Amino acid sequence: MLRYVRVDTEAELLDALRKDGAQLLSGGTDLLVKMRSGLVRPKSLVDPAAVAELRGIETAGGALRIGTATPLSEILASKEVRERAPLLVDVLRVLGCVQIRNRGTLGGNLANASPAADSAIPLLLYEANLELAGGDGARNVPVGGFFLGPGRTVLQHGEYIRAVRIPASRQNWIPFFHKVGRRRALTIAIASIGGLAAVSQGRATEVRLAAGSVAPIPLRLKSAEEWLAGRALDRETIQHAGALAAGEVSPIDDVRATAAYRRAVTGDLVVRFLEGAAAA
Amino acid sequence: MKVRFTVNGHAATVEGDAEMRLLDALRDVLHLTGTKEGCGEGECGACTVLLDGLPVNSCLVLAAQAEGREVLTIEGLADGPRLHPIQQAFVDAGAVQCGFCTPGFVMSTYALLRDHPAPSEEEILTALEGNLCRCTGYVRIVDAVKRAAVQLAETRLGEARARARETA
Repeated sequence: MLRYVRVDTEAELLDALRKDGAQLLSGGTDLLVKMRSGLVRPKSLVDPAAVAELRGIETAGGALRIGTATPLSEILASKEVRERAPLLVDVLRVLGCVQIRNRGTLGGNLANASPAADSAIPLLLYEANLELAGGDGARNVPVGGFFLGPGRTVLQHGEYIRAVRIPASRQNWIPFFHKVGRRRALTIAIASIGGLAAVSQGRATEVRLAAGSVAPIPLRLKSAEEWLAGRALDRETIQHAGALAAGEVSPIDDVRATAAYRRAVTGDLVVRFLEGAAAA
Repeated sequence: MKVRFTVNGHAATVEGDAEMRLLDALRDVLHLTGTKEGCGEGECGACTVLLDGLPVNSCLVLAAQAEGREVLTIEGLADGPRLHPIQQAFVDAGAVQCGFCTPGFVMSTYALLRDHPAPSEEEILTALEGNLCRCTGYVRIVDAVKRAAVQLAETRLGEARARARETA
């Protein structure tokens, strides 16, 4: 029979997660659906909502630390986050819906490891680190090294994400996020593309690109990024970057869209972003 | 397991297994059947209630997670036989057809107008993005929210005038 365990401290959390069949319950917006459809059958649900280390938003200069059990709506409303990581706010605004954002968390969205995890895109772009904690102690893992495949992460048994750390970053980033889906709210992306560009006199100083739902994991588009670094953002350069981006993803056909469409839309959105950044 | 929380201002205790959702506790144990189950997976918003003032899908919250917290359901809005102004606005605007989604829409509207007494069209659409209606096409629902905002503003103005008269 399923047990519900509410823990108050990290020590209790570690202890509860060590048990056979224990499952961390964060917002529950994915987990409870999976449980009801029989996809997962945990023996106990461990609720860390009361553990202080996993809650709240702290700043240190330009950097941010967000406890992973902080509801998304709280992050969305935070002035500190809007100033330091505006693209995260842009993305959370179109994640789920009001009801989902009032329950859902970054920890849940990341640990779930969906190829379509919206929050992974801005965190990849800001090069966030995840503070993991477990029986063997704590460790930091870059978001880019956290996902192993659909539903699979580097988290070991008994380990959890304590916080997301977003380092201080350029103030002059031109941000971009576009999620392709059937409707705005509650949609699982067919493809999502995010970007940050620093442009000076028509030349790209630095460009970061990330894509979701077009590969087994959300990922950075490194070859397009490298091609763009230091180049003037003219038509040919932008078109070539779009082609590189389209070549870098490995989408699949599924109920939402075909692989060919996902590849094409990846390139088109990268082009759209760069054209906007060149004109800014 | 036993869970204690507040529902519509009254203390409630429910007993059930760990799988029991807040939705089940409200409907099956407390017989507050105004909250509806639509999809049961957080897509439709028919089961929307306010948990510590915030709209949530009660199908995605375990009853145990409501321990010690405050829940407001559609039954908590009317003042005896008098409908809440939001409920009345939904009636007046013809924003109700089959009615199954209505309690959820009303609860989302309640939270919106508490935080944004004069919402823009965009704010209304965002606040209602998690609620699906398969009958109305939403035009009349948005109209109802606007009417309710006006009605609530007039009520507040009337109350302020009455207070001013008392002090004068």
